[in-house]
Amino acid sequence: MNAGSVKVLLFGAAADWAGTRETRIPSGEITLDELWPLLAERHPELSPMRDTLAFAVNGEYARGDARVSPGDEVAVLPPVSGG
Amino acid sequence: MFAIVEGPIDVGALISAAQRPDCGAISTFVGNTRVDESEGASVEYLEYEAYRPMANRKLEEIGAEMEERWDVREVCIVHRIGRVDPGEASVAIVVAAPRRGPAFEASRYAIERIKEVVPIWKREVWSDGYVWVGSQVGTRERAGLP
Repeated sequence: MNAGSVKVLLFGAAADWAGTRETRIPSGEITLDELWPLLAERHPELSPMRDTLAFAVNGEYARGDARVSPGDEVAVLPPVSGG
Repeated sequence: MFAIVEGPIDVGALISAAQRPDCGAISTFVGNTRVDESEGASVEYLEYEAYRPMANRKLEEIGAEMEERWDVREVCIVHRIGRVDPGEASVAIVVAAPRRGPAFEASRYAIERIKEVVPIWKREVWSDGYVWVGSQVGTRERAGLP
């Protein structure tokens, strides 16, 4: 197990730009807004997309003030385009 | 029935499964991949991906919303992911209801909600590069990349 880290899944254009579909960000208990700079530091290509992205924590849409704990799964979601 | 599948959608089987003696209407919406053309290039196929456990749950939530709003007795939503060639079904929505009004309305609601909240993404693969629909980024020179 990766204690002390958050699993981050990337999809669509975000996965494309970051060049990966999954990464781990070492962290304690933080918020989504606090997680973003850690992710952007590792994958600066994502920065221009910031305003278009939504996020999910453990499979549910979450706002910037949502708590993220080690072991949680955060998903980076570009504008959805199903159908 | 709510499902994300990786192969062709058997729309006929979904309609058959929705038939019930208390329902006088079955509304079926099928979203098909469409070939666009611009400046001598054209779409060769679409490729879909999903955040699967969440996408499944969102489809189920949409079904529950439909049953709250209308008298519908059977809802089936199937979305295909992976490569989908032109003219093939990428999504099918089958709604059975006692009467046609709610069947039509609930079906329309479902496709609009899918496009709003279900974590599924598509990439148009053109003869000269690709574009992520919605993000408007990709490898096509004319795609208006940032």
